[in-house]
Amino acid sequence: MRGSPLLRAAIAFFVLLALGFPLWRLTHAAEAPPAKMQVAPAAMAKAIHLQLDFTLPPKKIQALHLGKVVWREDAPAAEIERDLQLVYPDQGVDLQFHIEWPEDAPLAAMRAKLTDPAGDTHEKSLWGKGVVDDVLTFP
Amino acid sequence: MKQIVLLLMATLASALTARAADPIRVSSFSTILTEIAEQVGGDRVAVTAHVKAGVDPHEFEPTPGDLKTVGEAQLILLSAKHMEGYVGKLKESTGTKGALVEVGDGFASLKMKSEADPDRVIEDPHWWHSISNMEKAVKIVRDELAKISPADKDAFADRAAKYLATLDGLEKWVKLELARLPRDKRQLVTSHDAFQYFAKENGFTIYPIEGISSADQPSSKKVGDIIATIKKLGVKAIFPESIENPKVLTEITRESGAKVGGELYADGLGAPDSDAATYVGMYKHNVSTIVNGLQ
Repeated sequence: MRGSPLLRAAIAFFVLLALGFPLWRLTHAAEAPPAKMQVAPAAMAKAIHLQLDFTLPPKKIQALHLGKVVWREDAPAAEIERDLQLVYPDQGVDLQFHIEWPEDAPLAAMRAKLTDPAGDTHEKSLWGKGVVDDVLTFP
Repeated sequence: MKQIVLLLMATLASALTARAADPIRVSSFSTILTEIAEQVGGDRVAVTAHVKAGVDPHEFEPTPGDLKTVGEAQLILLSAKHMEGYVGKLKESTGTKGALVEVGDGFASLKMKSEADPDRVIEDPHWWHSISNMEKAVKIVRDELAKISPADKDAFADRAAKYLATLDGLEKWVKLELARLPRDKRQLVTSHDAFQYFAKENGFTIYPIEGISSADQPSSKKVGDIIATIKKLGVKAIFPESIENPKVLTEITRESGAKVGGELYADGLGAPDSDAATYVGMYKHNVSTIVNGLQ
């Protein structure tokens, strides 16, 4: 091969550069970012109906859903009921109850009757004395 | 006559002293059972923990030293449900005259497919993740200790009752804690399939990456399926275990976008200086980790 050594060196440099660039891209490809979590659509609150019957009316009752108070009554009657809006997945819900019965009262009970968004009714009970924190699972 | 009475009193005193000085020798092959034996037996038992905290019970094999201790034990406690594959050898090689109690056989098993052989149904040996099973185990150990030392029956009953009350308090705590987590978010992706009893009691669905034994390794198809499931269900976190190598989990988190929710204690109690050194501590650690990870 004839020609200026300078020219040949320049041609060789550009050939190497042309081959090297794709190679560099392949070996230095940016690390793929972590996959993005599919975000489930925000669950909609649905209407439920809750009825509470007490063998002995408590001084105070609170119903909590996911740690938030959704219903509070001071000195409720022996039977109370209310419509509530809750996120209610197909798997059901846990409702936490904080009940304060009189300190000197005997063992008492509360019957909870929940009508779910589909119209089905589920009944659960809890028993206690004094201050009670318990969870009822529906259905 | 006076000498005879004195002799009798001396003999009685000597017997009582010997009784107090010789606690019941218990060999335990589970960190959970070690705690139960110590809680129920108190100073009337001397428990040798053959499987120590942090040791994988699926992989454990007794040493000659273990066998010697078992040979001298009055009570040998095993998890059962096929956790201890060496139980036959243990019986044969030690010739123990002690009571060998397979505690887990005292209550119902959850059945599941073997990862190695999907045609085979096996028992899930991780029964202690059900507090209800734990309560039954306490009663089994209490009754076995009372058979060996009837004179201590009431003391064992008292200590068992206190421990059962502690478990009752734990059960209430778990219910209140889990009430913070919506039921449609109760999907648990773990290293190996150890939480079925927990899941059944608390409304979770388990997606194990490995099989029932921590020695099982997941196929690439299974890993792909789990990634797809995590994405489909929007699972926020997955949970490696205290004993496992979380290499595969790292791949899953990168591909699925889920975070690592923290370590769970699947196969027994944690180290003495950890928050999972006791059963209550271990259970609270697991529940808090799950709730905080999935919320």
